[in-house]
Amino acid sequence: MEHSMGMGLGLGVLTGVAVGLLFVVVLFKMKVLDMTFDERQKRARGQAFAWGFATLVICVAVYGLSDAILGHWIDVLAACILCVCIAVTVFAIVCIRKDAYLSLKERPRRIMLLFAVLAAVNLALGAIYIRNGTLVENGMLTSRACNPITGIMLLVVLAVYAAKYLRDRKETEE
Amino acid sequence: MKNLRLKSARAALDLSQQQLADAVGVSRQTINAIEKGDYNPTIRLCMAICRVLDRTLDELFWEEE
Repeated sequence: MEHSMGMGLGLGVLTGVAVGLLFVVVLFKMKVLDMTFDERQKRARGQAFAWGFATLVICVAVYGLSDAILGHWIDVLAACILCVCIAVTVFAIVCIRKDAYLSLKERPRRIMLLFAVLAAVNLALGAIYIRNGTLVENGMLTSRACNPITGIMLLVVLAVYAAKYLRDRKETEE
Repeated sequence: MKNLRLKSARAALDLSQQQLADAVGVSRQTINAIEKGDYNPTIRLCMAICRVLDRTLDELFWEEE
């Protein structure tokens, strides 16, 4: 029974990844997403990738240590997503601070709207799981924690970008 | 070090940072960073800026003594 549940979870994850990839391809075709960066932005993104990678390594180490010391407090899949989301958040914040997050052809409002919608969907799912009592089982965060974790990441990135956007607009007007 | 010569050359042609950025194919923030002295552009970008502003490399980017 556990084996079939694991297979079901695995298939669900693969389907989610496939749908996500398809969504990204569609966004690129619609020119909502783009990867054209100028030389300064490429350099800044390189530095941001280094910070993100270092963060990922630290997060994975902390997760491993915490699992060894405290026991299983989080599902493995959720732990992977948590580590990746923290690293991606650090990458995004460094990029945003150096004006290298959005490419030359991306429209800020469109991207931020997309982030807001995705954050809302994921956080709503998280709220449903909390209400159903399926987010935490036997004192352990389940794989369902992936959605609220992703939602929080998107919300943090959105908030940091919005703050920078408003500050830059104010400086331009002055 | 701030690049005031670039700023004044841009102003002389009545170009905004965004307009200059669009003309050379970079972001406005990159032009701003060059003018503030926060970023050293590559020679390729320097030449592209010189072409748009109709100035020489020496006039815009050589260090003042």
